[in-house]
Amino acid sequence: MDSSVFKRLYAYKDLLLVFIWREFLIRYKQTAIGVIWAILQPVSLMLLFTFIFGVVLQTTQKNYPYTLFYFAGVLPWTFFSGATNFAVTSLSGNFNLVTKIYFPREIIPLSGVAINFIDYLIGLAVYFLFLLFYSVPLTWNFLWLIPLLIMMVLYTTSVSLLLAALNVYYRDVKLASTFLLQFLFFATPVIYSIDAVDNRWKMLLFLNPLTFIVENMRRVTIEGRGIVLWQLAAELAGILIFYFVIYRIFIRIERAFADVI
Amino acid sequence: MLSDPVIKFEKVWKKYSKQQVLNNSLRDELVSVITGRKCREELAEGEFWALRDISFNVNRGECIGLYGPNGSGKSTILKLISNVTYPTKGDIIVQGRVAPLIELGAGMHPDLTGIENIYMNGTILGSSISELKRRIGEVVEFSGLDDFINVPVKKYSSGMYLRLAFSIAVHSSADIFLFDEVLAVGDEDFQSKCLKRLATIRAHNGTILVVSHDNAALHRICDNILNLEHGTVLQGESI
Repeated sequence: MDSSVFKRLYAYKDLLLVFIWREFLIRYKQTAIGVIWAILQPVSLMLLFTFIFGVVLQTTQKNYPYTLFYFAGVLPWTFFSGATNFAVTSLSGNFNLVTKIYFPREIIPLSGVAINFIDYLIGLAVYFLFLLFYSVPLTWNFLWLIPLLIMMVLYTTSVSLLLAALNVYYRDVKLASTFLLQFLFFATPVIYSIDAVDNRWKMLLFLNPLTFIVENMRRVTIEGRGIVLWQLAAELAGILIFYFVIYRIFIRIERAFADVI
Repeated sequence: MLSDPVIKFEKVWKKYSKQQVLNNSLRDELVSVITGRKCREELAEGEFWALRDISFNVNRGECIGLYGPNGSGKSTILKLISNVTYPTKGDIIVQGRVAPLIELGAGMHPDLTGIENIYMNGTILGSSISELKRRIGEVVEFSGLDDFINVPVKKYSSGMYLRLAFSIAVHSSADIFLFDEVLAVGDEDFQSKCLKRLATIRAHNGTILVVSHDNAALHRICDNILNLEHGTVLQGESI
């Protein structure tokens, strides 16, 4: 659609790679267990939810094994919150780069999306081990994960770019985003299932693309069912429009970043 | 060949705001995105001209000095050339890749080693990873850091830090090099090495712009000096 966007990113692909590589190095320098952190975080959240909702509160979630149910929700959520959290301060925190050297500004928030996606894939591998453990049958419907992952990455990228750009102008965004992420956590069916929600609120919750993504990740892996096509088309169209609008605005205002940061 | 202007400023004006919170700027910016209108050209409250009506050309292989007191617009010119910011009015043409050494080591990270920072900073300055792989020996040798190259740069002395940053900078494969107050790097030995390196860059048709308060130093290395004050060129030295 907009080939210039990809062209300019392609010209700076080495810089993007180096940024990703740098974040990875910095994150695990002087840590004792290194990359295991990528697994430990979602797994411990999953265990916590399993304990609270399965053991303490004794709720049932669609008769799925608790661990699978929560893990499937926690993985996309940690990806989204990790990437956006990184993005908010990514430009304002690197002001010494932004005010001195030119490069496509989206590279910094995008590198955050990329490293969190690597973490996500590591988590996904662990999730597949859990599926094996519970002897969930592997079906062709697992391939639906591919469009779901693309949607998840596009949506997260758009929100990341939006927050990073806004925080250049107003530092309120950083303060608001912490609160908004907590809010969004409960608006995403990580610790509950959308089926338990009254029809009136369902539509409202589906305005959050993460709802669609989380629910269908469970559906295609744990249940081995396909995605309802018209739903997929509607959500995908919404996400694509959001993405292109945000990217366009980002590119238009990025040249002013150095002056206002 | 030698008379091609690689940098051309034509009647360039640049406006800045003194205000901390830019209530209007985001709205202006969004409005101009939607309507495609250019930003306002007159001064609003709390704004000032950092550059007024600057015109000059720099030819390939030249070394130009920018001299003037603080706030005269020297760094703004470098920022405009490196595309970090854009002019309010006027046109700028820059041909070739720019290595902006506006602040040495702007892209360094204290937890990374010297080698890791060479890749980091080198790509920020526009080199590709494969170029850096080829040059890394040269960069390390020039910096004179020897075994320290595998130590995190937070353990470096400030002199070592600057030497590494300068080595990365001058070995970038750009066509135009911008130096901001970075002539006083390292001891005398290293300084003479730097001056030699500048001569090599020029011998390979590289163009250099240097900003400094030190007029004598500028006269030693530059072909021409642009005298700036309050955002305008003094004495009309035509280049």
